[in-house]
Amino acid sequence: MTPAQSPGGTPAVAAVAVTKTYANGVRAVRGVDLAVSAGEIRAVVGENGAGKSTLMKLFYGLEQPGSGEIAIGGDTAVLHGPGDAIARGVGMVHQNLMLVPSFTIAQNVVLGVEPGRRGRVDLKAAVEETARLAEESGLQVDPKARVDQVSVGMRQRTEILKALHRGARVLILDEPTAVLTPQETEDLFASVRRLRETGMTVLFISHKLREVREISDRVSVMRAGALVGTVDTAEATDRSLASMMMGREVTLEVVKAQARPSGAVLRVRDLGYRPSDAGVPLDGVGFDVAAGEIVGLAGVEGNGQTELAEILAGLRRPTAGVVRVGGTDLAGAGVAGHRRAGIGYVPEDRLHNGAALDESIADNLVVDRHDRPPLSRRGRLRLAAVRAHAERLVADYAIRTPDTAVPVGALSGGNMQKVVVARELSARPRLLVASQLTRGVDIGSMRFMYERVIAARDDGAAVFLVSADLSELLTLADRLLVIKEGRLVGRFDSTRGLTEKKVGLFMLGVERHDRGHIGSGLDEVTTT
Amino acid sequence: MSVGTLVETEDRREYRATRRRGLAIDVGMAVATIMIALLVGFVVILATGHNPVEAYSAMLTGPLERSTRVGRWLEDATTLTLLGLSVAIPFRARQISLGAESQLYAGALAAGVVAIVVPMPPVVAVIVPVVAAMGAGAATGLVPGVMKARLGANEIVATLMLNAIAVRVFDYLVNGTLREPGSTAVHSASIQHDAALPSLREWFGVPLGRANIGLLLMLLTVVALWLLMTRTTIGYRIRMVGANQDFAEYGGIAVPRVIEWSFVIGGAVAGLAGAHLVLGGYGRLEPGLVGSLAFEGIVVALLARNNPLVVVVAGFFYSYLRVGGDIMEQQTDVGTEIVVVIQAVIVLLVTAQALPDLFKRRLVRTRVTR
Amino acid sequence: MNAVVGVVFSSAFLAAVMRVATPYLLAAFGGLIAERVGVSNIALEGQMLAAACTGALVAGHQGSVALGAVSGIAVAALLGLLLAALRLHLGADVIIAGIGLNLLASGGTAYAVFALLGDKGGTSGLQSGSLPRLHLWGVERIPVLGEILSGQNIVTYLAFLAAPVVAWLLYRTRFGFHLRAVGEAPDAARSVGIPVRRVQCLGLALSGALAGLAGVFLSMGYVSFFVRDMTAGRGFIALAAVFLGGLRPWGVFLAALAFGAAEALAVQVGTLDIPPQLVSTIPYVLTLGALATYAYRRRRRSNAEPSRA
Repeated sequence: MTPAQSPGGTPAVAAVAVTKTYANGVRAVRGVDLAVSAGEIRAVVGENGAGKSTLMKLFYGLEQPGSGEIAIGGDTAVLHGPGDAIARGVGMVHQNLMLVPSFTIAQNVVLGVEPGRRGRVDLKAAVEETARLAEESGLQVDPKARVDQVSVGMRQRTEILKALHRGARVLILDEPTAVLTPQETEDLFASVRRLRETGMTVLFISHKLREVREISDRVSVMRAGALVGTVDTAEATDRSLASMMMGREVTLEVVKAQARPSGAVLRVRDLGYRPSDAGVPLDGVGFDVAAGEIVGLAGVEGNGQTELAEILAGLRRPTAGVVRVGGTDLAGAGVAGHRRAGIGYVPEDRLHNGAALDESIADNLVVDRHDRPPLSRRGRLRLAAVRAHAERLVADYAIRTPDTAVPVGALSGGNMQKVVVARELSARPRLLVASQLTRGVDIGSMRFMYERVIAARDDGAAVFLVSADLSELLTLADRLLVIKEGRLVGRFDSTRGLTEKKVGLFMLGVERHDRGHIGSGLDEVTTT
Repeated sequence: MSVGTLVETEDRREYRATRRRGLAIDVGMAVATIMIALLVGFVVILATGHNPVEAYSAMLTGPLERSTRVGRWLEDATTLTLLGLSVAIPFRARQISLGAESQLYAGALAAGVVAIVVPMPPVVAVIVPVVAAMGAGAATGLVPGVMKARLGANEIVATLMLNAIAVRVFDYLVNGTLREPGSTAVHSASIQHDAALPSLREWFGVPLGRANIGLLLMLLTVVALWLLMTRTTIGYRIRMVGANQDFAEYGGIAVPRVIEWSFVIGGAVAGLAGAHLVLGGYGRLEPGLVGSLAFEGIVVALLARNNPLVVVVAGFFYSYLRVGGDIMEQQTDVGTEIVVVIQAVIVLLVTAQALPDLFKRRLVRTRVTR
Repeated sequence: MNAVVGVVFSSAFLAAVMRVATPYLLAAFGGLIAERVGVSNIALEGQMLAAACTGALVAGHQGSVALGAVSGIAVAALLGLLLAALRLHLGADVIIAGIGLNLLASGGTAYAVFALLGDKGGTSGLQSGSLPRLHLWGVERIPVLGEILSGQNIVTYLAFLAAPVVAWLLYRTRFGFHLRAVGEAPDAARSVGIPVRRVQCLGLALSGALAGLAGVFLSMGYVSFFVRDMTAGRGFIALAAVFLGGLRPWGVFLAALAFGAAEALAVQVGTLDIPPQLVSTIPYVLTLGALATYAYRRRRRSNAEPSRA
């Protein structure tokens, strides 16, 4: 593809044949040519892992390209760090905001370039400057309010003001609406349009096609690290964009017999969750998972999947509703109680809580069962039994290691995940909750994991599979649920003939099932 | 060739060879660290105008020259090793407990009071104060343990405050209620004869100073704690909580209870050290009998990377330096404090993790390029 | 009881409180700055000790009290930089590195004194003098208040001035802004081009210098000689005051003052029939209680909305 020619002369920011390969071998961006002209609002859309964020980091100097060039204002720019990008007039609003919580908004806006003489900070000038910028840009903030006491929307406006204060001419917004209410989104868009009037170039990253169509002039679509194409927003439809975004190059074919589900093992009814930390709230979630079936949960990341999976594992407590496994009501039960009820859990981030990296494979394999026979008796750990248990699982799950005493941290990603999966599956759970089963795992381990999960299903386990990888869900799941903003918005009782594009429309909110369909066939479950 | 790829090979022999090499590097590192620290001491002695060769020969050979000096070494090593063990356990659960001092005082006090006041038949007269000391130490450890585990209170501050309280309460009691009537110096009455830990001299027939069967108790404790950490479920839980608390929680382990246990076990061992000081060493309660021992115990645990079996080695090594330092001071004009300097350099080198890693990486790289 | 009340309200006692609180105040502000820049300074104790010793030795040998004070402060600041280097460049655990530095100071000072003076106990054989006392004109003549406020050591005035100065530094200057930003949100600071490590190094050097001033006061104000391990745990108490004061300058000021007052009270009631050791435990018991209450309240608040089990 030739460099995309922008209509209005020199592009404000451009990438020419840019490629970025991370140290772990992942090629996040491959040969991307992108040119955005001054005063344009350019949306960049794509699935998770399509390379959008990496591309933006290249523009902001947080990453350096392996090959190719970045140009800002027509000049080739080598950006060693954000400082270089800022100096060239590039500002970025990160998804996780970069603010100092105990500082006021004005203090955050001027941080690093404070007004004042002889080492002092002129707080009044900071407030005035912030108020002036806010007035000019229409980004309403309370300059004297502490950041940790204002809404997420105002924090985001603060970030934009920060960029403006540094004289940004190019503004990168990384999924800015993910955390905003509809009203806040409206306000943000109004301000962004106003900034465009002043000649600001805006790069807008999003999953939400409706918003993209509302705000942007042109849309660039990325898939698997490459730029698929750029279209005028006026000519794009949700469907045409979704079809450009979805679709994966490699699909893994796995032999899978027809599921033979029996009675419901997991029953979730009217589940509600209000997080106290920065989690996603859940609302009115209800579904069943039967023994002998795999139910997939699809959704754009950050729509409540993590919270739902951790509730099922006992790591978070729901604020409303019922969760039952078999006959057991799990209200008030801790992790150990959930495990006793027969729940196995493959966590989404094995490095965070799926393994103790410095401890041996053998010790990692027994965390849930070290306190009972045959592994221990009356408080005594039987090392021979622990070792035998580990050797059996290492053989059964083809974990490539010379010895079970090897610390888990020394294993590759795929091997480490096998340790986690081996532990959870060997407990023969009635319900297996698996999040991002094959994230960061090689193809060989991936196939192996798929086969094992299917085998567990055929042995009568209920499997609840959460994944950001649609092709994985369509390969494995017998039924599929779609979650968006903490609610179930889609339910497919068969995955036969279901395409990624179709599911993508639900994930992106283009289509949704009505509540009657999603809740149909669920029996009444009352709290005991 | 990185460690990761080596482990991927399924060749056990190659893995074991790698591991042996890794172990050899670790041991080499430890020796190098000690050497560097001794070298620093050497330079300091030289710089202050003294003869370092003479001083070091006194320090390094002195402790073995007479059996009483060996006895002093054994006695000191017993207390230090116990203290090292007492912090190694909470450290293993990644709890930065600096409370060995308060637990030591509590143990000494409990052992002392029981041994002075309560008349008991032989054997029982030793056992009861020792058990009381362990109980008192454990109870003192439980306070910051509960505060940390149930409330999330900072354990460093809590243990430091308890230390400050314990030393003052101890001082008060020894100056007041427990002070031996009629004596000019400040100390308590002596413990009853049967309560003293039997001296090792009676066993070996050579004069060994105040060395006593506390040494055997200490060795028993080492083995017991090693077994506890490697072969019991509570030890397993302590290790997992220390390695990755989120993982332990995910696995269904009751993390707060494990944290409390780590404090209680550590406290009991520190209490035992207190009993050894009173029943085996001083024979009565004296102000300042703890000295700086508690912090030196922390150093011993750090040197040993909290592994009970290595704590003994580190304890014996370090108390050898301490005793040697005293002898050096008697025989030459070099102060024993140089030992503390050497010790400090060791601690700083051990904690500067990037140093050996840089060094190790260079080693591996040269091996590969060869 | 009346005797105690009498002691507490005597002007001699209040003057003693100012004197006794001085090292706590200075060291606590040093700890506060380190804590605010995101690196706990456990080495306060050692920095005080090293400064006290260096100050007395240099003053004694050079015959200049000022030179002694400056050298003492410089040594403590260097120890702060050493802690920064260990933590930031060599990946050391900040607690362990702090313990190591404390040991180094304890052993190093005792060794130096013995090597240079042949005295195990301290530098009492050396005429090192002490920093001047200030007699405040005007204030001196005010009854009662004059007796309390005037005639204190110059460092005592500096210690009481430290609260507004540190507050001003943290909240009104560019350096203070960067310092707090680095400690609270290093990523955010880095993203606006603040040199995070340099700010941390400077913060720790300043922290050490304040602890150094506290140490210099001990050996050249409180008394006029250095005694082995004369800091006697004051650095750790100062650290507790930092947390008890909620990491805020005026909170830290009050906490450190309270510790000083309790110690002064313990000294004063020693003449009465009240055990001074027990009186001096009061602040620690209170700290322990405050720590537990604070943690309990915080936990309650986060549990009000159910969170991670």
